[in-house]
Amino acid sequence: MKTPPVRNIALICGVLALATAQAVLGQQPAPKAPAAAIGAAIDVEPPVAGDSVKFLVIGDSGTGDRAQTETAAQMWKAHAIFPYEFAIMLGDNMYGSERPQDYVAKFERPYKPLLDANIAFYAALGNHDDPNQRFYKNFGMGGRRFYSYQKKDVRFYVLDSNYMNQDQQQWLDKELQSNAKWKIAYFHHPIYSSGGRHGSEVDLRSIVEPMFIKHNLHVVFAGHEHFYERLKPQKGINYFTAGGSAKLRAGDIIDKSALTAKGFDTEQSFMLVEIDGDVMRFQVISRRGKRVDSGEIRRIPNS
Amino acid sequence: MTRLLPALIALSTVFTLACNRADSAPRGAVGADGQPAPADKTPINPPIGATPGVTSDGQAVNAQGSATLEFRKRVDAYVKIHNDAEDKVPNLKRTDDPKEIADREAALGRMIMTLRAGAQPGDIFAPEYQPYFVKIVQDDFKLRSAADRKALVAELPKTVKIDINTVYPTTLPLETFPPALLRKLPDLPPELEYRIVGRSLLLRDVKANLIVDILRDVVPTIPS
Repeated sequence: MKTPPVRNIALICGVLALATAQAVLGQQPAPKAPAAAIGAAIDVEPPVAGDSVKFLVIGDSGTGDRAQTETAAQMWKAHAIFPYEFAIMLGDNMYGSERPQDYVAKFERPYKPLLDANIAFYAALGNHDDPNQRFYKNFGMGGRRFYSYQKKDVRFYVLDSNYMNQDQQQWLDKELQSNAKWKIAYFHHPIYSSGGRHGSEVDLRSIVEPMFIKHNLHVVFAGHEHFYERLKPQKGINYFTAGGSAKLRAGDIIDKSALTAKGFDTEQSFMLVEIDGDVMRFQVISRRGKRVDSGEIRRIPNS
Repeated sequence: MTRLLPALIALSTVFTLACNRADSAPRGAVGADGQPAPADKTPINPPIGATPGVTSDGQAVNAQGSATLEFRKRVDAYVKIHNDAEDKVPNLKRTDDPKEIADREAALGRMIMTLRAGAQPGDIFAPEYQPYFVKIVQDDFKLRSAADRKALVAELPKTVKIDINTVYPTTLPLETFPPALLRKLPDLPPELEYRIVGRSLLLRDVKANLIVDILRDVVPTIPS
């Protein structure tokens, strides 16, 4: 596959220990949180840099059940080691009814420690979500179904993949013209996926991928598939599916899929991401606190 | 008007194709299955490519254009009702109280239902335009693989019952609307969106979560 020169992002996964990356880049580590205070059960690497952009990635989380609660507890444990400042939600923020008590049971209660710590959430809408969730302040959508925001050098584009109408396409094409150093999009439906139940959303891909390529997007996060998958870069863009933060479709990743770089579909999971200069580091933590994937993506300057 | 341009272009194409087929089939007639209707059967809907309309003063008009404008006119009329209803219920701004969101959605829905009491299928999906909707949807589905067609309706149980001027079932997900099909349909204002439920095409009020019109038997049968 020919990779456009401006999209030369090297993906080095699970090979370099984060400590090695830290040494190579000559960066100072952030002070470690007192891991002993939260127990030793979680396997999380601390961030490399103190002033990096650090965030949590969760998807398909709004069940209100034990799986969500236990996975959320690990997120809070992870925060003590990896102090992310905000969380991105990849949709299906609430399954089933969306009565006021459901907002409590499926969001506010499981993530209470994060909310109490003033961690901001920025949600995308999934197919199970009432679009009126956009008026809920804790979802950070500002009343919009699709929106963008910036954290330091990183521009985030949050799409409503349930309904990719002309307005949204025109908005996206314009917004992607940003000069941000990093451009990251997230939305519910994966345009590349090895899921047996859903698979790649090729219809959506035909609309958004040309814009992603044209405007040098670097990374895409999606949910919908109830597992974790890191895909082999597609046309120079790095794709992650992280739709298993409460729901789980065990064994759904197609064996030997040509798309998969790493898959994990035996347990719920979430991602921790750090963007530091030209490097994005990620780690994936399971419901039981195990690190099941990690690596880094290196952005070539001026791409 | 510029927002209508893609739809008008698409409709013009449909019109041209239909006219070109006029020698081999009843003029543009399309049955519910998307196939040309037999000559001895009257089509359910006005035929695509029918003889252009004639105004009261005898002037010929473009049938597709007038159908599109009629649909647009009805959409605009609905938006006026929506706005009237919004004026009658408390404003919804960003809130950290989900009860405000739920109450407001319900209140808006009730108000619109009241203002549209007696609403009937086809009130917005104008009869003049229905054949075009049918053709656009069915042509789109013909281009899709079996797996793709199935995926488009996989999220909802087959027994979902829906009706006009009622709340979209709050415990059910919304099927993702295929972006490529959306491109072919007339654009809608932000108050409304298209949705597919089973074999029906819906118009849904986004803020009120209300089904405001239904066009049934549009989506081809999808084998399970």
